[in-house]
Amino acid sequence: MDRNQRPRSILDSLGEELIGILTPVSICMFTVVLLVCVLNSDPSSSSASFSSIATAAYAESDSDSSWDKFVGAALNSLVFVAAITVATFVLVLLFYLRCVSFLKFYMGFSAFIVLGNLGGEILVLLIDRFRFPIDSITFLILLFNLSVVGVFAVFMSKFSILITQGYLVVIGVLVAYFFTLLPEWTTWVLLVALALYDIAAVLLPVGPLRLLVEMAISRDEDIPALVYEARPVIRNDSRLVQRRVWRERRSNQNGSNDIENTSRDEVVRVVRAEAEEEEHVGSSERSEISVPLIDRSRPDQAENSETFLEGIGLGSSGAIKLGLGDFIFYSVLVGRAAMYDLMTVYACYLAIIAGLGVTLMLLSVYQKALPALPVSIMLGVVFYFLARLLLEVFVVQCSSNLVMF
Amino acid sequence: MTVAAGIGYALVALGPSLSLFVSVISRKPFLILTVLSSTLLWLVSLIILSGLWRPFLPLKANVWWPYALLVLSSVCFQEGLRFLFWKVYKRLEDVLDSFADRISRPRLFLTDKLQIALAGGLGHGVAHAVFFCLSLLTPAFGPATFYVDRCSKVPFFLVSAIIALAFVTIHTFSMVIAFEGYAKGNKVDQGIVPVIHLAAGMLTLVNFASEGCVIGVPLLYLVASVTLLHCGKMVWQRLKESRNQSDPSR
Repeated sequence: MDRNQRPRSILDSLGEELIGILTPVSICMFTVVLLVCVLNSDPSSSSASFSSIATAAYAESDSDSSWDKFVGAALNSLVFVAAITVATFVLVLLFYLRCVSFLKFYMGFSAFIVLGNLGGEILVLLIDRFRFPIDSITFLILLFNLSVVGVFAVFMSKFSILITQGYLVVIGVLVAYFFTLLPEWTTWVLLVALALYDIAAVLLPVGPLRLLVEMAISRDEDIPALVYEARPVIRNDSRLVQRRVWRERRSNQNGSNDIENTSRDEVVRVVRAEAEEEEHVGSSERSEISVPLIDRSRPDQAENSETFLEGIGLGSSGAIKLGLGDFIFYSVLVGRAAMYDLMTVYACYLAIIAGLGVTLMLLSVYQKALPALPVSIMLGVVFYFLARLLLEVFVVQCSSNLVMF
Repeated sequence: MTVAAGIGYALVALGPSLSLFVSVISRKPFLILTVLSSTLLWLVSLIILSGLWRPFLPLKANVWWPYALLVLSSVCFQEGLRFLFWKVYKRLEDVLDSFADRISRPRLFLTDKLQIALAGGLGHGVAHAVFFCLSLLTPAFGPATFYVDRCSKVPFFLVSAIIALAFVTIHTFSMVIAFEGYAKGNKVDQGIVPVIHLAAGMLTLVNFASEGCVIGVPLLYLVASVTLLHCGKMVWQRLKESRNQSDPSR
């Protein structure tokens, strides 16, 4: 057959960068849903009263009226968003004073705490649930090793990509699971409040994240952050090989700003991809997009304030970067939907993926820093309530009578 | 039902789609995106339908004609949506072709278009299976199982998984037939898809009779095999035509 000599169609490689970022998001959401189903299915176990800064103002209890719950949840969210704003401004201040090494050390320390503390708690819950026989000394040694490897994987540039990406997803899963333990009304109002804060922080001129990005661009530095990057795939004849691509610094071309970094935890780039970059990267699709990245930081729960970066951006070769906070809050939404029913999980998953796609399209159109949370969270919340109120009754009516179409 | 049985029922409903996904769709990222957007579209259609029918629910248990109305309206709405989906796909095809011209690559081949249609149909089938079958399966893990009076020989979950498998087949391949029918202007192909969909929907009403599923389910599989055969014949003809066109010396 003359099929082998036929040139490759565009369909073979179109959209692979998008799939490169959708896969880890899906894996993270799936793992959180699995954890929620496995660990919450036992009703006799006490629902963890998770006290953190997000429940500081109001602790929800079942006997309150709906209005009380709503007001309490709004207060909680206000406190949380205020805490995040303060922490982000502190980060901006530290970055302005060039305390970059302190920031890096703090990030590594908080990654260690997340993997050790939160990871340890979840592992203990899992061991308890499955009656897995292990002694405490072995457990401690394993946990310590896993945490240390995780810290190195996330912050050193010479690790295998898969391990780094895997550890980032694991950190996202751990934090997201603990956020799902918040009371229900607080979770939903908090998600909406964070989506609104995201818009404000990235798009307003006084927003802390915008300041951070502009400072980083003007100084040609990178911000220490936890960011998931889908590495560009390079074709090796017929096999897809993901390889770390090192790019050298290049002088300004055509008057455009070409700022590139070689470090692994690079975050900020303003790049115009042109034809000659194809030979550096070897990607099969030329991307004619120039995009700045956005960065955001957000502290975590009361135990430790970690800085995660959120936001979405495109690398020069089309490798998409998504901040870890986005992973976390998508998974929180889906995990909370899982606590009601799995039909809402499917609906929310599709809504979030659609929101992510819309955000990426907006990114390539507007070509400036964009927040990744609002569209997905809003779509997710809308679909959750639609599914819960409308879809479930309809579908259960039909399929329990074995009437389908 | 137990976890093993649950996974078994889920694979009965979605096993062929999973193998189709792994062997054909996962090779090309664009097809994965097509599956996801198609699933989203049919989810939205289900939400709109449930919004329209919400004031009338819950329907009375033993009367079958409200369900007939429900099926009829839903099938009409979904077929209309399928036509809109094709319109959007046509525009996308133009965009892709002009993009291919811009980077001096060949335009979309026939097999590419067929694969996109297949991915769209798979999205429809997966949406159906997930929302009508899987979403009832997953909350029901535990030591017991559930039987319905009308179909008392087989557990409810198994029957719904078997019906879902038939519908997945019908949806997947009727999308290919529909897209080719619209592209070539072939009235037979265009007309046969809504007819098949309506027939399949109406056949599930047979399940209302006591032990009706003994008749209903095999008839449904008859419709599914008709769809499969028609689609296979049509695709074979198209491929032969295009091969004759590209190489007239043969």
